[in-house]
Amino acid sequence: MADVVVVPQVQPVQPALRFLKIIPGVLLLGAIGYAGKLLEQNVGTYAKAHHWIFPNIEYVLWAILLGIVISNTIGVPEIFRSGVATYEFWLKAGIVLLGSRFLLGDILKLGGVSLLLVAIEIVGAIAFMTFLGRVFRLKPKLTTLLAVGSAVCGVSAIIATKGAIDADDEDSSFSIAAILALGALALFTFPLIGHVFHLGDKAYGVWAGLAVDNTAEATAAGALYSDAAGKLAVLVKSTRNAMIGFVVLAYAIYWASQGQAKAVGNKAAFLWQKFPKFVLGFLFISILATYQFFNKDQVGTLANLSRWAFLLTFAGVGLRTNFRDMRKQGLRPFAVGAIGEVVIAVFTLALVVGAQKLFGF
Amino acid sequence: MSTQENAVEAKKPWRLSLDSWAVVLALLAALLVRVGVLKHIPW
Repeated sequence: MADVVVVPQVQPVQPALRFLKIIPGVLLLGAIGYAGKLLEQNVGTYAKAHHWIFPNIEYVLWAILLGIVISNTIGVPEIFRSGVATYEFWLKAGIVLLGSRFLLGDILKLGGVSLLLVAIEIVGAIAFMTFLGRVFRLKPKLTTLLAVGSAVCGVSAIIATKGAIDADDEDSSFSIAAILALGALALFTFPLIGHVFHLGDKAYGVWAGLAVDNTAEATAAGALYSDAAGKLAVLVKSTRNAMIGFVVLAYAIYWASQGQAKAVGNKAAFLWQKFPKFVLGFLFISILATYQFFNKDQVGTLANLSRWAFLLTFAGVGLRTNFRDMRKQGLRPFAVGAIGEVVIAVFTLALVVGAQKLFGF
Repeated sequence: MSTQENAVEAKKPWRLSLDSWAVVLALLAALLVRVGVLKHIPW
């Protein structure tokens, strides 16, 4: 009994209160997303009626732009913040529901190719970011966080790695800011580059899934190009996400061997803890769809539910993009991230074009 | 890990992660669609 520590009882926040706290922010996400949808429908019609030349802007971009304008002008008031932070929750629920639009055979075929491409991308990205970190003399753990963020899956990977390698809060906020800033840039540059190179939906979707770091931005960058590209970007990005546990485990073992992090006890439990569960949900729903558990109308309904969930996500991506906060984080980590991202984008584009010729997807 | 840390660890309440809650919600929605409670969601 002498060894048992008495932990002071902390009063947990009532679940009902927590739920009430997120409602205003979720409503804001919904309002911005829906406004984006209305703008898509009406701006084009209005411009056409008045014989204006106006590009067809999809709801995805409208929702993101509206969010960015609010975040960088009036800001997001405190009352909305908890709810706005749920955008990742809607993203993951949307990805699981999107599984209904994939047949297992397609996943196995494309998943096999994407697994190979993801493995090459992860190894190449980690090697290059580590090299860049050394050239720019960044702190080794900051370099690790940037490497994981750009190789695997953005913010979630950085947060998972931070805990596993005992990195500083400052290093992780630097890395997260750099990854988010570059993700925001990718949203606007990737579709343009895709159109310049006349990439097909499949090639573009695979490229966005491989090269854009954060899942929300990868989903948005894909959806901005086309519906089919969006689907593939989610599939490839989910394959990348599935690798998170292995990469974080490898880094945890490395830093523990250097005496600068806690040793990993049960490796299987560690992998399970880090594994993104929504990937399993996505696979489960696609298995159900493959064996016709849902009829055609029901698949359509699930696909629409997934679109609504993504609508909330895209509004959240915009609301989270704050240029003032990004400027505060300093130039060097951003420069390393930016150079790394450009090289990774070029490298993965070449990889996708090569793989398309080889595997014909 | 020391015995003290183990004791603290053991007292942590078991909670579902954000990921898992998202999966639960999505599967529940899929079930409601399957049984016909949610019939048509327009887009």
